[in-house]
Amino acid sequence: MPEILVQYEAEIWSSIGETFVMVGVSILAAVILGLPVGTLLFLCRKGQILENKVIFSSLNLLVNIIRSFPFLLLVVFLIPFTRFIIGTAIGTAAATIPLAIIAIAHYSRLVEQSLLDVPKGVLEAAISMGASVKEIIYKFLYVEARSGLVLGLTTSIISFISYSTIMGVVGGGGIGDFAIRYGYQQFKTDLMMYMIIIMVILVQLIQFIGTTVSRKIDKR
Amino acid sequence: MIKLHNVTKKYAHFRAINSVTLEIEEGEIYGIIGASGAGKSTLLRIMNLLENPDEGEVVVNGQVLTNLTSKHLREARKSIGMIFQHFNLVANKTVFENVAVSLELARFPKEDLRNRVVECLQFVGLENFISKYPAQLSGGQKQRVAIARALANNPQVLLCDEPTSSLDPHTTGEILDVLEKVNQRFGVTIVIVSHEMDVIKSICNRATVMADGAIYDTISIEPKRMLGTDDSPKYFVEQLTKDGGVDHA
Repeated sequence: MPEILVQYEAEIWSSIGETFVMVGVSILAAVILGLPVGTLLFLCRKGQILENKVIFSSLNLLVNIIRSFPFLLLVVFLIPFTRFIIGTAIGTAAATIPLAIIAIAHYSRLVEQSLLDVPKGVLEAAISMGASVKEIIYKFLYVEARSGLVLGLTTSIISFISYSTIMGVVGGGGIGDFAIRYGYQQFKTDLMMYMIIIMVILVQLIQFIGTTVSRKIDKR
Repeated sequence: MIKLHNVTKKYAHFRAINSVTLEIEEGEIYGIIGASGAGKSTLLRIMNLLENPDEGEVVVNGQVLTNLTSKHLREARKSIGMIFQHFNLVANKTVFENVAVSLELARFPKEDLRNRVVECLQFVGLENFISKYPAQLSGGQKQRVAIARALANNPQVLLCDEPTSSLDPHTTGEILDVLEKVNQRFGVTIVIVSHEMDVIKSICNRATVMADGAIYDTISIEPKRMLGTDDSPKYFVEQLTKDGGVDHA
């Protein structure tokens, strides 16, 4: 192993750990909240089973607003909110709040898109069999859209990694922050390159897993 | 079995269905035919309230569907089967799962579920395709799965929306055989919408001709199979040369 990596091994591991915490919380937020928000966006659209103009327009607007913020500004804008929830606006835990919020907005959009790909006839068949809204969602929509949902989550996770590199500004740490502080600001270009390589490997791995899983579960 | 009373369906200012009244008897195979846009599919979809009529009453199996709460309507739909032109199977579910889901929705006892699914698939002749996915089946096989799915809960009524319109004549004949068997074996009342005259003449006891969202006429008929189940090359040549065919090139 190159000497410089040995020298900074402890810091590298802890920054990788911070990245995993930040991305992990983002994934949880995406699945636990982004999935239902995206589903609601889909179901409340015109012509869908829960058609509701007010809910659709407000959710749609909210998601658009969050997504139109340059992420760095969103982080700064959310500082009071983060302080209210976590008690501080600095550190890895505090960094998870803006990440979770962008994660929900990001993934909900991709969920909505995947659900739009489900043939309308399948939902009609479900309705004709007497399925309730909950049954339509779990026994038909998610089953039929599952490979798109997985691919969407893969795309989202990779964006979360990218977003997490900014979190150095609020002391969130992570690989990106480490690469900037040690590699760029202290002129250790080789160290920065190694960090970039780690990120590239990570993204390749996630994309590979996502693509493989989505292909395996796609029987269409 | 099915009664529509003064049913009207409007889209904006266009009356897709204009004050239709009809009655379908128990055990009938009832056809609805007409040009595209005549409202035949809309009329069928009103029979299980996939389309909600703006005026009028829909009665199926003694229940006034138009007066039911959404919960009771869902229950009522479990005894009204429906099949579609494009089959509408769940592509990510196996043949077994596609049939099983309609039983699950009706809270069918879990321990008997497997037997019931197999029984339904045997009835349509697909017991050997249980673990296949729809993408691995032909059009006719997909429609058989859809029929098995629609029959699983022992419906009193089976609504068929252009059930053979994306199938070739030979397969059409096979599907009509299955539908006839459904009617004879289980006494299921069948309503079949089609733009193909041969389909209606092959299987229906009574047929309604629709035009401009209204009933033009209703005729009692003696069903006579118009579509051969023969798909040998000899048959095709015979058909081509029968009337009007000029000569062997």
